[in-house]
Amino acid sequence: MIGLGPRTLFLKEVRRFLRVPGQTVLSPLVTTTLYFLVFGWSLGGRLKEVDGVPYARFIVPGLVMLGAVTNAFLNTSSSIMVMKLQGTMVDLLVSPLSYGEILAAFVGAAVVRGMMVASVVWLVAAAFTGAGLAHPLHAFCALALVAIAFGALGFLTGVWARTFEQVNFFPTFVITPLTFLGGVFYSAEMLPGPLRTLTLANPIYYMVDALRWGMLGRSGAGPWPGLAAVAALCAVSLAAALAVLRSGWRLRG
Amino acid sequence: MEAPVVSWRGVTKRYGDVAALDGVDLDVPRGEIFALLGPNGAGKTTLISIVAGLVRATAGTTTVLGHDVVADYRATRRAVGLVPQEINFDPFFTVEETLRIQAGYFGVRLSSDRLEEILHALDLASKRHANTRALSGGMKRRLLIGKALVHEPSVLFLDEPTAGVDVQLRQALWAYVRTLRSRGTTIVLTTHYLEEAEELADRVAVIAGGRILVVEEKVRLLERHAAKTLRVALSAPVASLPPSLLALGARLEDGGLAVSVAAPPGASFGPALSALAGAGLPVRDVETRRMRLEDVFVSLLKQGEPGDGP
Repeated sequence: MIGLGPRTLFLKEVRRFLRVPGQTVLSPLVTTTLYFLVFGWSLGGRLKEVDGVPYARFIVPGLVMLGAVTNAFLNTSSSIMVMKLQGTMVDLLVSPLSYGEILAAFVGAAVVRGMMVASVVWLVAAAFTGAGLAHPLHAFCALALVAIAFGALGFLTGVWARTFEQVNFFPTFVITPLTFLGGVFYSAEMLPGPLRTLTLANPIYYMVDALRWGMLGRSGAGPWPGLAAVAALCAVSLAAALAVLRSGWRLRG
Repeated sequence: MEAPVVSWRGVTKRYGDVAALDGVDLDVPRGEIFALLGPNGAGKTTLISIVAGLVRATAGTTTVLGHDVVADYRATRRAVGLVPQEINFDPFFTVEETLRIQAGYFGVRLSSDRLEEILHALDLASKRHANTRALSGGMKRRLLIGKALVHEPSVLFLDEPTAGVDVQLRQALWAYVRTLRSRGTTIVLTTHYLEEAEELADRVAVIAGGRILVVEEKVRLLERHAAKTLRVALSAPVASLPPSLLALGARLEDGGLAVSVAAPPGASFGPALSALAGAGLPVRDVETRRMRLEDVFVSLLKQGEPGDGP
């Protein structure tokens, strides 16, 4: 049974992003749909098949993953930043909520938003390429773990950041490049040697790969390395977020 | 003596080489309005932030109802309500939602009766469904007080509660603070408006440079420190005073149109009044003036050095 305190914080965080659906749900929907239409349909005609599936279908897991990662990250980072700027972080810090409860509530809401956007992107893609899922449980676990990991990373970024520019640094300069270079739009098999090695060193590649196995039943590295990589990232990011919260760094004087 | 509600023991807070608090020992008795007075930067906000969990002390222990604020933070935070100095609001929610969310953080489900009571007491009932962004500054400040009260704390900290507040609202807030005290809530007030402390406080602590200079019941502090002045206005100027008045320290003012005699705390003006009557001066008016808390505060700060207190 979850206590009233963490449940209140979790529901507040969910209601917060639902109050601005244009920004939190509609905007990523439009963006990822455009990716899908441009890369999947206009270029997809030339590429025919990748790894034995039509190109339009091949890119769906990557776009779904991009939606989950970005939205889980932005939910925690922007919410904490707003609380710091508005001064309402005080309301939380004077409460009897434990560090674990605070982190769980924030990350839980980030997972809801990440999964919600991922589902919407998948539904739009399904209208064009079919909705079949090869391993639904695997796909769900990969997405949920990724959302937890990036929700926790967003939490850390929100605590660290002093400005919204710093909040946006991570998605702009880290998440988006790593995702684009992480096999969203191509298979690692298609790349020449050095680029292929670089792709294989990118953690996002394994996350996309894990989801691709769950959704399409195709994978470059097999079903488990990706899932293991995401689980490891989850553990590290949650532990780091909890340690930062416990230390009071940039939150308590 | 009854155990204090809040107790600081040897509390020090350092920011690098600067000591915001330097070994503070202080107790807040139950059921009182306790004013922490001090100039800006004296350490008032740091002191209460340590109790509320916003700041961690470098050394020393702080307890609320006997519980340590670090080791047993859940118990102490349930007992404490904090009205911060800076106005804050969450632009995503209404007044009612804000109060319900804050209560939820404390594990309290806000009953309709309690919600109504807070909204009416703070004159926010008409704004119940308004977004907090749409509230005036005074309303936002009242909402801060409401948020601090949702979990019915044993001790309420008000950090500069009437800074930038108009006279009417200030009077209303003071009345509500007295109501809370009458219901058994201990109030700790930080302020640099001496008028506020003089009006409200049962007990006063003066803090400067991170150290407590004096802690005393307000009435006794005023009695002990507050010198009096007798001022006699004359209908015609006089050139000099008779020896009987000069012996009492009287001096001429306003070009001979007034006589002023100072008396230390507790002393009587009887001899001065007898000497005045005996001198046959043309008395037009008489007024006495007692030092106010503000004068006592300034004089305590001038005595200055920590440890000069009683």
